[in-house]
Amino acid sequence: MIPDDPHDQQLLIAEYVLGLCRGEQNDEVERWLERDPDAAAMARQWREHWVAAVELLDPERVPARIWREIRRRTGNDEPWWRRGWGSAPLWRSVSAALAVTVLVLALVPAGPAPVTYTVVLQAPGEAAKPGWRITVSADGDLNLTPLVESRYQPDRSVQFWTLADPAQGPRSLGLIQPGHSITIPASRIGDVQPGQLFELTLEPRGGSPASRPTGPVLFIGRAVEI
Amino acid sequence: MFALARRLTGEHGLAEEALQDTFVQVWTQSHRFKPQRGSARAWLYSLLRNRIISLHRQAHGHRFEPLPDQDWPDPGPSPEQCSYAESQRLAMIECLRRLQGDRRSPILMAFYHGLSYEQIADRLAVPLGTIKSRIRAGLSRLQECLRL
Repeated sequence: MIPDDPHDQQLLIAEYVLGLCRGEQNDEVERWLERDPDAAAMARQWREHWVAAVELLDPERVPARIWREIRRRTGNDEPWWRRGWGSAPLWRSVSAALAVTVLVLALVPAGPAPVTYTVVLQAPGEAAKPGWRITVSADGDLNLTPLVESRYQPDRSVQFWTLADPAQGPRSLGLIQPGHSITIPASRIGDVQPGQLFELTLEPRGGSPASRPTGPVLFIGRAVEI
Repeated sequence: MFALARRLTGEHGLAEEALQDTFVQVWTQSHRFKPQRGSARAWLYSLLRNRIISLHRQAHGHRFEPLPDQDWPDPGPSPEQCSYAESQRLAMIECLRRLQGDRRSPILMAFYHGLSYEQIADRLAVPLGTIKSRIRAGLSRLQECLRL
């Protein structure tokens, strides 16, 4: 039964998110959240806060066979050659792709190194709005690519930061131009760690006057190992 | 997610099974994810926890890994505190750290191990009523601390 007292209601939501409501009580709370947007918003806030507790755990690598099994169970493991063995369009595509590959291999001495880390930078509090994408190649070079168009006042600069070790504080990776990709060499990035923080802040023209960000965070994200 | 699954199940095979089930569920029920209702990460974690809690009803006697309870990191000042999302994250860690141990432990047992009130009371050898009081008092303090 859903209590009438607001404090008791809030407590019930906290218990539900924590997984302490079972059986019929759990079903009743879920029906309540479906019809009461305020209650649903409270549940959402609790869930978002609990994400922090999950991220305290050291990441563990998932065995490759688990991904294979997930692909099999979702019907995504069928080899491409079985899907269209006799298909003319398929073979035309394959031939064209091979031709392009041969050309690229002939003209380019070495292809780009595979990506080892990626980061999606999002506006603070806007989890569903990616603004920039970072990829770090096996060589350690970092590429920063805009996903949205953004403009700022001319007396402001956008500065790129990283935080690998909180004890050492943030490190500037330089100013960037909104809307333009940039590649930063490994020598300036250093070794990237899983979970390493990257962010873009809005600073006075020419960059932060201090050795740390002074302006608002525009986009922020953490490195995920691929 | 795998680390959480291992904590919740205390067993490698069950963790793998739960992880598989969760990603299959994501694939088949992706239409149920609504960005306005929260982040994808929170959705994924809640799917995984719900799946494992339901597995708990079917199995008993797991060995659980220790809780990250004894040495909570001090979030400390850092540039990400400028960010709303990051300050939310740090706030939760700080608020958990401030909780008394006898309130924090059962809350974390529920979160990381997916245990019910009865299971927590049994494991801590504390009366059920006492555990309910401690958890509810702890959740109230967390709520105040998080300003929810």
